[in-house]
Amino acid sequence: MSSWIELLTDNFDALASGFWVTCRLVVGSFLLAAVVGALIAALRIAPSKWLQRAGGVYVETFRNIPLLVLLFITYFGLRRAGLPIGTWTAGIAALGLYTAAYVAEVLRSGVFAVSRGQIEAARSLGFDERETLRRIVLPQAVRTVISPLGSITIAMIKNSVIVGGVVALNDLLKESRLIASRTFETEAAFFWAAVGYLLITVAATIAVRRLEQRYAIRR
Amino acid sequence: MGYLLDPDNWEWVITSNNFEFLLEGFLVNLQIALIALVCSLILGLALALGRLSRNKPFAFLVGLWVDVWRNLPVLLVILYVYLAMPTSWREGYEDAAPEFLPDVLQTGQVFAALLALVLYNSAVLAEIMRAGIQSLDRGQNEAAVALGLTYWQRMRLVILPQGLRRMLPATVSQLITLNKDTTLVYIIAIEEVARRGRILTGFNFFGGVEAPLLQVFIVIGLMFIVTNLALSRLSRRLEIRERERSGTTVEPIAGLEDQVVTAEAR
Repeated sequence: MSSWIELLTDNFDALASGFWVTCRLVVGSFLLAAVVGALIAALRIAPSKWLQRAGGVYVETFRNIPLLVLLFITYFGLRRAGLPIGTWTAGIAALGLYTAAYVAEVLRSGVFAVSRGQIEAARSLGFDERETLRRIVLPQAVRTVISPLGSITIAMIKNSVIVGGVVALNDLLKESRLIASRTFETEAAFFWAAVGYLLITVAATIAVRRLEQRYAIRR
Repeated sequence: MGYLLDPDNWEWVITSNNFEFLLEGFLVNLQIALIALVCSLILGLALALGRLSRNKPFAFLVGLWVDVWRNLPVLLVILYVYLAMPTSWREGYEDAAPEFLPDVLQTGQVFAALLALVLYNSAVLAEIMRAGIQSLDRGQNEAAVALGLTYWQRMRLVILPQGLRRMLPATVSQLITLNKDTTLVYIIAIEEVARRGRILTGFNFFGGVEAPLLQVFIVIGLMFIVTNLALSRLSRRLEIRERERSGTTVEPIAGLEDQVVTAEAR
């Protein structure tokens, strides 16, 4: 056990920098997923059948393709096609667009979870459609989706590992693999990587639980 | 866009046996997913029952085991199991692997991949099963106790038939996730579809045809999309049927992206 702690202190800088890369990757992808996910959800609840269908195609495509294959397309694929896409851009694009499909589904279901009676009541009180959406539906929808959005975020944190596996980004797992191949202490190196990931997921779980306690509506 | 649709860049699909080469690789993915699913179901059931055990310290330990594996990234588990597994295990598997399996599945790496996928998925499935069992009305168990059934009789005759049927849609969604996760074994050099895609786009493979990477991986992506769409249709149909029969909804479970979505969409 003491050799494991020694491994941590010896390689602390490398592990910390990997941890930081993973954090930035997760935050960047989360922002992209939130924006794109909201847009796709808007398409899916739009009044036009064609817009709904377009949103549906996006969701079904990105939810059913393996992230690894998506990364190959955005990173190596576009590069071979002559598009000089950066490592960070490719990584965040793949993880963000992949997660956006799940975010869109959750947001859409949140909107549908607001009962019809409320919308009818708002309309009969003289709210127009836009106001009904903004003042009645969305505030409640956001509060119902906190917990499923939290699960998606945690799944995204775990999926961020795949980005480092394909793209040349030295994230936490990549750094610990480098340490493992240098020191031959596979168990210890992977143990600290696992601890790092559990730190992020546990922190995210606690944050989600706090938000839930304050804002969530249970249905 | 011109590059993407240029017929020259699609020629590889009909050249030589490139497409069959990919399709055979995809079959390896499906086989790994199926074998891992069956093993995970068995182990998952044991873990779920362990977690629901009345022996508190034992239930706590099982719960800890489940929560740790469920919350680790799959790729990390795959790499770790592969690197940390003693060579004797791998050789043992190579000797003991049944003959009828295709050659790729008889390699030692596949054993590591299967073990890792089972460790992760059995933990996720254990949670699904636990939710299914706990969603049953308490009265079911109490009535079975009152009738004088033993623990195993209650499980076999009353609890599991109902609980497991409720988790069927969730299991199918987990199969979708598992199917996608099988591409990750690319990283430990198993010749499945992603690895074959790389081979195809390498240097001068198959009579000098170097297939364009973008197009090859779009085709691979389509293979997964078609299979998984069929599975998700199946899952939705099962869920609707189950809801009509029991009037309940499936509980959302962390770590199960697909399930969260189907559970919320009413």
